[in-house]
Amino acid sequence: MSEALHRFAGPGGVVAVALPVPYGDLIEGWGELRRRMLRDVAPGFSRDEWAYLATFLDPSSLRGHFARNFGESVEGDGAAVSALYRPRGEIAVWLPNNVSLLGPLTLVLLSLTGQPVRLKRGSSAEDLAGAFVRYAIDKLDDGPLRRLLESRVTAETFGRDDPRNAELAASAAVRIVFGSDAAARAVHALPHPLDSVGFSFTDRRSEAWLDRDSLDDDTLADLVRVFTIYGQAGCTSPRRVVLLDGSEGEVAALAGRLAEVWARVAQGRVPMNIASDTVKADQWARALGWQTRVVGENGGLLAWGSAGLGEFEGHMALSVQGATVAQAFEQLPANIQTVGHALSSPDDPDLLRRLARSKVLRFVPLATMHHFDSTWDGQAFWKGCFEVTETG
Amino acid sequence: MTALLHENAPFGPRDDAAFLAEINALTAAHIAGCGPYARVWPAFEAADSVEQLPWLHVGLFKSLEFRTESAEVQHERVLNSSATSSGVASRIVLDRESSALQAASSLAILRDFVGDSKRPLVVLDSARSLVSRDVSARVAAAMSLKPLASDLHFILADAGDPGSVKWDVLSGLLDEHDELLVYGFTWMLWLAWADDVLPDSIRRALAGKRVQFVHSGGWKKLESLSVDHATFNARLTDGLAAGSRVTDFYGLVEQVGIVYPLCEAGWRHVPVWADVLVRDPWTLASLVDAPGQLQLMNTLARGAPYHNVLTEDLGRIVPGACECGRAGKRFELLGRVPKAEVRGCANV
Repeated sequence: MSEALHRFAGPGGVVAVALPVPYGDLIEGWGELRRRMLRDVAPGFSRDEWAYLATFLDPSSLRGHFARNFGESVEGDGAAVSALYRPRGEIAVWLPNNVSLLGPLTLVLLSLTGQPVRLKRGSSAEDLAGAFVRYAIDKLDDGPLRRLLESRVTAETFGRDDPRNAELAASAAVRIVFGSDAAARAVHALPHPLDSVGFSFTDRRSEAWLDRDSLDDDTLADLVRVFTIYGQAGCTSPRRVVLLDGSEGEVAALAGRLAEVWARVAQGRVPMNIASDTVKADQWARALGWQTRVVGENGGLLAWGSAGLGEFEGHMALSVQGATVAQAFEQLPANIQTVGHALSSPDDPDLLRRLARSKVLRFVPLATMHHFDSTWDGQAFWKGCFEVTETG
Repeated sequence: MTALLHENAPFGPRDDAAFLAEINALTAAHIAGCGPYARVWPAFEAADSVEQLPWLHVGLFKSLEFRTESAEVQHERVLNSSATSSGVASRIVLDRESSALQAASSLAILRDFVGDSKRPLVVLDSARSLVSRDVSARVAAAMSLKPLASDLHFILADAGDPGSVKWDVLSGLLDEHDELLVYGFTWMLWLAWADDVLPDSIRRALAGKRVQFVHSGGWKKLESLSVDHATFNARLTDGLAAGSRVTDFYGLVEQVGIVYPLCEAGWRHVPVWADVLVRDPWTLASLVDAPGQLQLMNTLARGAPYHNVLTEDLGRIVPGACECGRAGKRFELLGRVPKAEVRGCANV
């Protein structure tokens, strides 16, 4: 593959990025695939997932990753270059058994580096990333992207004790692990090149914060949609809704309104095991002192109550509590990832100061809680796939 | 509250009114003595039918430890379920009176299926499993057969290793006895005994002996090995004397004391001190002759409100009389609630 040198102007000056394939060609390929994706849904994907994936492949959106990480594209080669970025090399990705759309999304971003990508998934996993690669190869005309996917992307299936894990770690310049804390520790503990880098996307929790000025029906519908895509299994799904400065009565009223919106937004029956899980969650919550309301035919649960009530779990169970801003920060779980907000003043200086002292990794509008980017869990993992030569 | 157990054969005519009265009283005792249970069912009043009775989802016993306090209840040990796919065990708080009732109940039920002649009981488990203060489901099931046995022999050196059978112990028993009672978890019985692993000397010693095999724990592991009931039973009874039999019973630690052996006609019968409902998973409506989630209840459990649980097993109430001659309600066990994939971000 021929090498392409691209220039970008950022706040620190012009940088050059060396890529084995012109990134515009790859983005054009993804754009072509996106147009074909509008006609069907690949097996294994939900309609919501497919629609999000298609949106993610929008060429201007993909160019945005270069702009955010390197700067605006610069034509010509006359400008002085302050730094030269080159891909580190082979990228290994460990996907867990129940990984969501994050697998395909990560793959799309990594493809833009033009580097070999080896995907490892668990033996019982539904292989969304592998399925997407196969779909793309099948649908794309011959071109740089199809050739890249055919020749440089491999998807393998094996267990956590398989010796191929060690082979992956030993050969990869970049290790990306989705999974439990223990799984990530185990992967990074395998012998690996000293100059390689590793990123871990482990078990995280998220919350949604609202204030009473933001409780319109559209916002509540956004909240329900964001939650019901993955329920509690999604690291970017809100497990808890916090009504800032909300009284007990306001919290109960919010739960009631959410239940009504949920019933309108819900699409059909949930699977039998989810219905059963909702029944369990309802009883678990009530045993701990929560007030509850079951939505639809055991399709989901809203539980509300005061601070200090014990935690309960349920795939489609969403809890609602009131708290002051200070209490909301104090009550954040240790593994907090995203706080999705619907607040009248999300850029309030006091809020930002508290945010700075917290471990919150994403503080984003409610509707964008699941939006995936080249910086994830607070880590600039995509830019981390490049190493830099200072030239200034 | 135990008249049904003490005064009746397990599979005689049902007295539904007496059952409802007993379980209403038991439920009221749990509501009064167990705060979390009362919070789940705050509006309890004596029910007019078993369908109206309060129940708990079986999965709650993996998350919370329920305990009913009362002057009459003396809590003793904790019973743990076997490992599940979730890796989390249910914990059932046992009490002295219930333990006695549960032992009497399982004995009455099992006697009806395996007879009551005294013979050695061979358990595919390790004797070390008896030592723990917390009781495993496997040990509890084995001990429910003890009253039907002349003596007890744990023949695994390692409780988790089907390759650790102490064949010399079994050989000695076969030298001295013509009848044996053998209990094991279904998968363990297959791997340790039925799957072509018997030494030739044991196979010869077994020829012509009458052996009653009793197993429980479910077929999940054997399904992955493509072993069906017929193969399982044929392998176990191959070469044995007439009257040898394999009895598969269904039971939950959350319903300890009540076991549901498969009858000769292929159904499971409900003893008169228990009841079974089937509920629609989405509406929770009670169903007859249609598949749904099994709800199991009994009048034995005093120490905690595990007397009435909604399971994650699927079943169907089968109308009509059974060819096997047992009276009362019967049902078909259809397996577990299917697990649709739960997709998330970071599987543990």
